[in-house]
Amino acid sequence: MALLELRGVAKVYQQGRIAVPALRGIDLEVEAGEFVAIFGPSGSGKTTLLNLIGCLDKPTAGTLVFDGVELIGLDQKGLAKVRRENIGFIFQSYNLIPVLTAYENVEFAIRLLNRHDKRELRERVMEMLAAVGLEGLENRKPNELSGGQKQRVAIARALVKEPKLVLADEPTANLDSKTSEEVLEVMVKMNKELGTTFIFSTHDPRVMEYAARLVEIRDGLISSDRRRDGAVVSH
Amino acid sequence: MFLTKLAFKNLARHRTRTLAVGLIIAFAVFFYIMYDSLMAGMNEMSYEAIIDYETGHLQIAASAYWEEEEKLPLDHLIPLDLLRMTSLAEVQGYQGSSAELSFQARLNNGINELPVVGRGVVPEELMSVFPLSDKFVEGKMFALGEHKVVMGKRLADLLDLDIGDFVTLLVRDKHSTFNTIEAEVSGLVHTINPNVNNFVVYVPLDIAQEALAVGDAVSKVVVRLERKEQAPLASAQLEDKLRAVAADLAVYKWDDVDAISFSRYAAAENRIILGIILLIAGIAIINTVILAALERMREIGTMKAMGLEVREIVYLFVMESTGIGLLGGLIGVVLGALEVWYMVRHGIDFAALVQLDMTSFGVPVVGRIYGKWNPNAFITVFAFAVAVSFLSSILPGYWAAAKDPIQAIQHR
Repeated sequence: MALLELRGVAKVYQQGRIAVPALRGIDLEVEAGEFVAIFGPSGSGKTTLLNLIGCLDKPTAGTLVFDGVELIGLDQKGLAKVRRENIGFIFQSYNLIPVLTAYENVEFAIRLLNRHDKRELRERVMEMLAAVGLEGLENRKPNELSGGQKQRVAIARALVKEPKLVLADEPTANLDSKTSEEVLEVMVKMNKELGTTFIFSTHDPRVMEYAARLVEIRDGLISSDRRRDGAVVSH
Repeated sequence: MFLTKLAFKNLARHRTRTLAVGLIIAFAVFFYIMYDSLMAGMNEMSYEAIIDYETGHLQIAASAYWEEEEKLPLDHLIPLDLLRMTSLAEVQGYQGSSAELSFQARLNNGINELPVVGRGVVPEELMSVFPLSDKFVEGKMFALGEHKVVMGKRLADLLDLDIGDFVTLLVRDKHSTFNTIEAEVSGLVHTINPNVNNFVVYVPLDIAQEALAVGDAVSKVVVRLERKEQAPLASAQLEDKLRAVAADLAVYKWDDVDAISFSRYAAAENRIILGIILLIAGIAIINTVILAALERMREIGTMKAMGLEVREIVYLFVMESTGIGLLGGLIGVVLGALEVWYMVRHGIDFAALVQLDMTSFGVPVVGRIYGKWNPNAFITVFAFAVAVSFLSSILPGYWAAAKDPIQAIQHR
């Protein structure tokens, strides 16, 4: 069974009396452990799709099944529970909490689960920070870190709770090309080591080179879906 | 726990704002404590002033007289013989008693005239109940049978009277016939009680009884006890004794006096006003939460994406506001305690501050006003400050937490 299954997913935004369709019937299946890039021009619907997958929004039509759970029927509390336990987010602008240190920012995500004792929790956070290459920087606050380091903290924060899915919206858009490569290599490494499913949006061709699967969206519809080797993915 | 830690870290984020709102609350708390202490001190002083110079701790009077006491009637008086049959000294805490015949009069210096309250008294009895002996600024107390009067220095100044001057007290006797008491000014007093200073003329009891044609009767008998706390028990004991002598006589405690009852209503009113000041602090908190929420909209969005529920985000804001309330409350309590300590130890000389005689405003104070410790005020106002901070942040907290996560994340 696919980790994620979208059938006929549509999203229409109402702007006054005008209905603006952002997605017009998306069919998509993502297996556990995949590393998927969603690309397409600005306004094509990439971010809307990520928001729906990330349980931040509800579709106007269609069905969305995540890990065997139909998300359409969940209320806000239910969606929050799915996000808390199963989905990690990486944002373009990092979105770290400025008053917390790198360690605390990562700790915050795992604390919400209430699953670990103090010692386990510390070990896990330190391991994750080391895995993203931030050993020794755990006590720095976001304003004392570079853009790449901040994004690594965000990756560690997304992964520390061992989610089934990590969503990244343009994760390298605010980084220079060298730092982008470093951050992407960290994401690929975590995907391989932990088996976590990654879905990220981008319109940078260099970033797409790291993806194992490329989904192109145009005008709210999937226009192509193929693997790195060129094989077309059928839905 | 982590959210509480985050809330308190957020307090340090905008130190100036936190401190500013904290200081608003601190000021309200400080002001309340200072005001409460001052009012309690003034009330205490005014109680003492009324007890020491007007009511004593207990007053014995006919109930019919008491109902019309303000008019100082010459009806329903008490025959002194009756009281002599009662052993007042057996009452717990008894220190002395003074029979008093009060009457309305006009004091005339030959040129001008002022309305006054005449009090026919036995000098030795008066001195045993009221601490007047060291309040003479000029002259001395008269003796029974002498055509002499003692009055407040301020009243004497108003009529340009000195020791040895002669005055006329115009009165109506029991039969409403006009009569006069011609007397020499033998003493001038200045007390902390403005009524005594401005309106009272003491006359020997026998002279007053004769002029008013009331025989051997008096208006009331004032009793002094060792402490005012003994009044309820002594009052009950005295009533038992009097019941055997005259059924219409009653005993009135010092706090049955209208002026003292009124001061309690005034204190309640002042607390409401101070409550409003703390509500203003609440508005400052609401403003702070809304401002913080607008500034941290993207953080709110991020936290919602991480899976925080609305109640957890509300908790974050409520904890921050409660932290401000705790900070402001603590600063206010510490400053308030220092101020009360100073007021209790050194007092405040308001008269010197405003360069006026405070007794002329009805404030029963000569010299310094002293504060009074009231631990309840500290606890109440601190709890109120924290509660106001807590409660006033809930609604704006919900307003912030209910934001759409997508819009919040994209907020700039």
